[in-house]
Amino acid sequence: MANIPADLRYTEDHEYVKGGGDGTIVQVGITDYAQGELGDVVFVDLPKVGATFGRRDVFGTIEAVKAVSELYAPVAGTVTEVNAALEGDPALVNRDPYGAGWMIKLRVKDRAEPGKLLNSEAYKKHIGK
Amino acid sequence: MPPTEAATWRVTLDPAGRSGAANMAIDAGLLAEAASSGRAVLRLYRFSPPCLSLGRNEPAARYDRAAIARLGIDVVRRPTGGSAVWHDQEVTYAVAAPIALFGGLRAAYHAIHARIAVALRALGADATLAFDRPSARAPGRSGACFATAVGGEVIAAGRKLVGSAQVRQGAALLQHGSILLAGSQDIVDVVSRQPSVGGGATTLSEVLGRPVSFDEVASAIVDAWWDTVSLTARPPDLLTAALRDSAWLWRH
Repeated sequence: MANIPADLRYTEDHEYVKGGGDGTIVQVGITDYAQGELGDVVFVDLPKVGATFGRRDVFGTIEAVKAVSELYAPVAGTVTEVNAALEGDPALVNRDPYGAGWMIKLRVKDRAEPGKLLNSEAYKKHIGK
Repeated sequence: MPPTEAATWRVTLDPAGRSGAANMAIDAGLLAEAASSGRAVLRLYRFSPPCLSLGRNEPAARYDRAAIARLGIDVVRRPTGGSAVWHDQEVTYAVAAPIALFGGLRAAYHAIHARIAVALRALGADATLAFDRPSARAPGRSGACFATAVGGEVIAAGRKLVGSAQVRQGAALLQHGSILLAGSQDIVDVVSRQPSVGGGATTLSEVLGRPVSFDEVASAIVDAWWDTVSLTARPPDLLTAALRDSAWLWRH
């Protein structure tokens, strides 16, 4: 059973947003459900700090079990931090997707945007749980 | 495979033999087309000259560039994941299709391999899908693609017969792979800085105990794909004639 924390927001593409403090900087990663579907993650290609993305822009790629998938920005914003630990240990995404396996931190363009994403109940419905 | 997928499949036979760059460009184009049009394509092709392909995210340092240059071999980096493959005596397949046709990544991996296994069994090979949950190589570990089989891959007598890799782009996926007819993957080790590990590959000729041609395997694969298509949609004479002709494009 996939872990879907109630305090996060989700996209239909299986990214999550974890609000930080005042809500201007959010943590982004993929959900526990997504990492389970992908299988063992062997590579994560992430953007540089300062890169700017619109909502649903491709911000990176992830490779698991020979398959390369795109990662989509859940909200518009600018990258303030990238999880460098994934370079040496991409399987952190499998082991702790909402914690040590986070991918990027984004300074959101529109503070209201994270709140418009799926809540945990809507995401559960989306994945058929 | 759900029955809805059959209606939109297009089968392309491309046995002429192309360079690594040309083949990867064609496959990438098929993916873009699948993403924009929602059409599904099965392409069967081969490499000429023989070519070493590297996985999209493999570190270049894993390979000895000087050795590759000295050997004068064609080399290309795939848009798909996975590790190195030596493309010589094989039937290469590519499937570009909307992800929704399969339901998900694992489902696609299994469904496509299941079709290929049906084709190989029709030729007499005891081809099955590896059952284990996928267990990827550790990062940095040397990896010839055929060194180890993961869940859902096609094996015969416990050894890997088909090596595949995937990339997803938007709502579409590209999965391509090699069905080994003969020869070996030894050259991957020759140009690798670290030896690979694992039980290794087998070939269709080895499994069947006789030589196997590209056309024979391509024909069996097309037949396996057509199992999912309504019989009224199938023009078998046309298809057979085209396979004999061995250099053309057939569109459903």
